[in-house]
Amino acid sequence: MSAQSAGKSDPKSPQAGLPSETVRGFVSLFLALYLLGCALTVAGNSGSGASLLVSTVKSRLFSPWMVPLWLDLGFDYRLTYGQLDDADHVIVVEPWDATAEAQAIRFPAAGSSGIAANRWRTLAGWLEPEIVPEEVAGLLPTAMAESLFDQLGSEDLRVRCLRFAMPERSTFDAAAEPALEQATVARVRRVAGSVQLLPVEEQRDVAPVVSPASDQGGTP
Amino acid sequence: MNSQPTVEPVSFSQQFGTSWNAFWFLPADGRPLAVIRILTAVLGLVLWSSYAADLQRWFGPDGVVSPEVMATWRRAYGVSLFDAATTAASLWAVYGLGFAAFASLLVGLGTPIAAPLAAVLWVSILHRGPMLIGPADDVLAILLWCLVIGRSGDHLSLDARLRRARGTTPPGPSVRNRLALSLLGVHASGITIAAVLAQLKGDIWWDGTAAWWLLSGREHTPASLMAAMAASDYLTNLLTHAITLFEIAFAAGVWVAGLRGSLVALGIVAWPLIGWLSGDLAWGCGMATLGLAWAPETVCRWSGSAGGKSLVAGPG
Repeated sequence: MSAQSAGKSDPKSPQAGLPSETVRGFVSLFLALYLLGCALTVAGNSGSGASLLVSTVKSRLFSPWMVPLWLDLGFDYRLTYGQLDDADHVIVVEPWDATAEAQAIRFPAAGSSGIAANRWRTLAGWLEPEIVPEEVAGLLPTAMAESLFDQLGSEDLRVRCLRFAMPERSTFDAAAEPALEQATVARVRRVAGSVQLLPVEEQRDVAPVVSPASDQGGTP
Repeated sequence: MNSQPTVEPVSFSQQFGTSWNAFWFLPADGRPLAVIRILTAVLGLVLWSSYAADLQRWFGPDGVVSPEVMATWRRAYGVSLFDAATTAASLWAVYGLGFAAFASLLVGLGTPIAAPLAAVLWVSILHRGPMLIGPADDVLAILLWCLVIGRSGDHLSLDARLRRARGTTPPGPSVRNRLALSLLGVHASGITIAAVLAQLKGDIWWDGTAAWWLLSGREHTPASLMAAMAASDYLTNLLTHAITLFEIAFAAGVWVAGLRGSLVALGIVAWPLIGWLSGDLAWGCGMATLGLAWAPETVCRWSGSAGGKSLVAGPG
């Protein structure tokens, strides 16, 4: 854009140094459209969902050019809600019949820090059942396993997503190492070149089974 | 700038038009944008290099984010230059090109080409692996597109040195710089508003415990700070409310001329601290860089001719 002055003859004019009215008009129109697009992308990408009107207008008029430029963003950086999905996550892949811890590969590697490690943690977070959209659930565990069949020398892998425990303030122990808990687990195997994702029955905490005979005080 | 000989009634539309023109079109000096260019390039190099160690594991021919995974995950209209890099060598080539673009942006060599190239390659790598990205990556995209609009290579750059060596007249204030700075400023305020609105939907930002949960559940935690927060409700509450109050003050206050300088100065410290607390220092640094767009008058200006450094107020 040229900065051709509309008021060049009079440097004290409020118009001095400004582009011509035509240029300003076109740029202003584009700016207004862009700012409207930004407002709609913020409204349309919020964690609380979006109205049909906003999502329709945004997806028809703005997404086609804002998505390629990585501008169709919600910027809803909540930082934390204190929920499980706000914790750091890691992925551990190991042969299904693994007995030794040494056979497991962890992403990011234990103790690693920095932005690359954070990218792995973000990827691992997408395995969290609470976060991952239904249409892509199972995609990443399968992809992780596929990329590691050869490295681990096994056609049958366990892919675990672990999250760091979030201690309450009252139970915090500064000397203790951060604890890991399992968020989800998947079994992926390759049979005759075909990769299969098998459901894994998660072990849940249950009450101990007590036989009626030994339960002296109760009634069957 | 506006010494009027006579006082005439000014309609709202005239007033709005004058303000709009001044905000978007008043030619601006290129030095503040040059400072933002350098900081953006440093952030860009840091974020770009974070892909290096695992580039092939993520995007390589046998990588985790295979073309099939990406096709399912990627949003409609998403495109990436990395789609064409189907071999390990071509992937490294495109990746190396990105490094060169960010390095050129840093030193200001061929800036009119380096800025759009860095922006295109950056959004390409984001579209190639959208499940790997965080808030800092979004902010860098905004910074880069705004640098494409402005003339960020006019100062503090090799381009400027080469121009001086050729005896060319140094470029003056430009409308493109104003547009870029104003867009950066609007985004700094807008992103902060969106972030603070998202935060305030969570109870922990009201009951004052959010600062604790920012640190809890992290692999690397500053144990001494957590111990101090565990011992003091008031410290936890103070940190939580300080974050919220700063964000609200920043989002609204930068529009008030009298508060702008203080808030930008505070932001240079506060944004990286918030980023560090939330485990994303790069995001904090990106927000601080965005916020600098509101401080063109207070940015140091280095006079190139005398060789000395002088603090001169930029155009307001």
